[in-house]
Amino acid sequence: MNIILIGMNHKTAPLEIRERLSLSCGDDVNHLAEIMNIPEIKEGLYLATCNRVEVLANATDGEGAVARLRDFIFHHGNLSAEEMSKCLYLHHDHEAVRHLFRVAASIDSMVMGEPQILGQIKDAFRTAVEHNATGVILNKILHQSFRVAKRVRSETGIANNAVSVSFAAVELAKKIFGVIEGRNVLLIGAGEMSELAAKHLISRRVGKMFIANRTYARAVKMAEDFHGTAIEFDMLPERLHEVDIVITSTGAPGYVLTPPMIEAAIRRRKNRLLFLIDIAVPRDIDPAVGEIDNVYLYNIDDLQDIVDSNLKSRKREAEKAETIIDEEITKYLEWYSALEVVPTIISLREKMEGIIRGEIAKSSAWMENLTEDERRNIEIMANSIINKVLHDPITGLKEESKDNSALPYIAAIRRLFGLDDK
Amino acid sequence: MDIIFFRLALAVYLLSALGYLGSLYTRRVLVARVSTWILFSAFAFHTLFFAMRCIKTGQNPVVSFHEMLSFFAWAMAGIYLAFQLKTKTRVLGAFVSPVSFLLMIAASKDMAGYVSIPAALQSNLVAVHVILAVTGEALFALATCAGAMYLIQEGLLKNKKVSSFSKVLPSLTDLDRINHICLMLGFSLLTLGILVGSIWARSVWGSLWQWDPKQTWTLAAWFAYAVLLHQRLAMGWKGHKAALFTLLAFAVLLISLVLTSLLFVTAHRFI
Repeated sequence: MNIILIGMNHKTAPLEIRERLSLSCGDDVNHLAEIMNIPEIKEGLYLATCNRVEVLANATDGEGAVARLRDFIFHHGNLSAEEMSKCLYLHHDHEAVRHLFRVAASIDSMVMGEPQILGQIKDAFRTAVEHNATGVILNKILHQSFRVAKRVRSETGIANNAVSVSFAAVELAKKIFGVIEGRNVLLIGAGEMSELAAKHLISRRVGKMFIANRTYARAVKMAEDFHGTAIEFDMLPERLHEVDIVITSTGAPGYVLTPPMIEAAIRRRKNRLLFLIDIAVPRDIDPAVGEIDNVYLYNIDDLQDIVDSNLKSRKREAEKAETIIDEEITKYLEWYSALEVVPTIISLREKMEGIIRGEIAKSSAWMENLTEDERRNIEIMANSIINKVLHDPITGLKEESKDNSALPYIAAIRRLFGLDDK
Repeated sequence: MDIIFFRLALAVYLLSALGYLGSLYTRRVLVARVSTWILFSAFAFHTLFFAMRCIKTGQNPVVSFHEMLSFFAWAMAGIYLAFQLKTKTRVLGAFVSPVSFLLMIAASKDMAGYVSIPAALQSNLVAVHVILAVTGEALFALATCAGAMYLIQEGLLKNKKVSSFSKVLPSLTDLDRINHICLMLGFSLLTLGILVGSIWARSVWGSLWQWDPKQTWTLAAWFAYAVLLHQRLAMGWKGHKAALFTLLAFAVLLISLVLTSLLFVTAHRFI
């Protein structure tokens, strides 16, 4: 096995270096072509995202290929070899496979469990396949990595809980209202985080969207962006009872929403539940509001606490994921060790002999009328047919194995004769 | 023969209760989904038991105190399963199935033999009275489960303890809706049940109402629920207050259901 994985990620390389590398990485196809031009490399995959740049390769000569891949990265990073080597990691053989599995399962991601990385690997694989850069080995590893990712997602809770403040808010809304669809939302003030939360809510098809801002023109502008209705800031107390979810993020020094305002709104709402999200610092909503019945008030620290504890539980789930990866590595190694000429010939023969035995057993009823000799002759004939049929494929395999290019043939035979099905 | 189905139902209720509690412990919805099917089969066995008893004896299968408990368990499970079809409140089963199982245990104490029904009770009115009243009470029990879960979930959300436990509990709005629906239905059925009962009482005891301890406590519970419904419908009570009051009203109902039979001398006790 001569599988190499070389690369850098958010843990090993600072942003500036990753940036430099991915800036020159606008065009994945050319990079792939460049990698495939390295004579020692038989199969290659090039993966570049904002958090990582990695090359996975199957090489004839490990050391030669690594040296040339290093040159490739130094050249594109436009950095001294010394600086670059500090950021690079290099894995061989089953450790390289393990690394890819961990990346695909999103254990190696900056935000553990995020789903994008799998899509990015699939894209990189598609590009590689389209340019004939992959073969038996890489195809197998990549397909297996997709399966690992699927298993980890369904068998562990790694992607279960929200790990961003805005998603945490959406999940809380679900715990309170059941369905978010049709709930009215009020956005007070502008800010990146509150707008992000609003966007998440809109994607769940909320009902009406109201927007208030001290500068009315700003509210009107935002209302256009969100297809909502602008409200004058002074009219807020009058309109509060119409909404189910309020997100505040103004720069106001004092409280924008006070207990009497919320109490009045709850009365007009006939005690229907109200969810308040205060993302502003300093706070926009008087904390005493949280004491009111049927009102749920969360500020930025509360949401951040949820995110932190969710991240912790993702880390626990990651340990389960490592077990799954170990299992899959074992499966991969089994598959790989079968990819040799001798075991393949043996299992091919076993399969054929099994078929003969089965057929003779099936025919035993009418064969009872035959004499012992006649029966033996039939068995001899069946065996010699099988030997004739197998002769050419086996000779071919042995010839190919002399110059190390038997892999595709072995894989094809194993696949076509179903030698790996148990 | 029919008693086999009773015991089968009892065992399967236990199985589903364990399944539901397991799903709470492991926080896995799949486990709860399987438990719902187990509960469904327990309900099916239990239904068969009632049907066979009815056919065999040709009389109302819910007469004695123990039969009432068993019918209570059956009604609760059935109503929950019906809700399960319509709402995302699977975890409610973790409250319903243990209660059904415990009721079955209590009922099993005196279930093997057949009771012969006194002539006075062989009226169809009695069957209707018992079935309406007990179904109504089972609905109240379900409303109480939903109310208890509401208070737990609310406590978690108010105190910002959004653990994975709060994740498996249904949303506040769903729980409040179940509480509301169960109260409305339960109140209607209990009212009808009491009316039918007093019509029968008039024909046997000569008057509509005796101020018997059992009747008095049931009336008290009925009033508690009437107040609660009024607050909900007219005053717009929702959520916390409604859930809390449901628990209180059910406590009164429990006295009328269980304690009066054990502690007081009551004319309402026949067998």
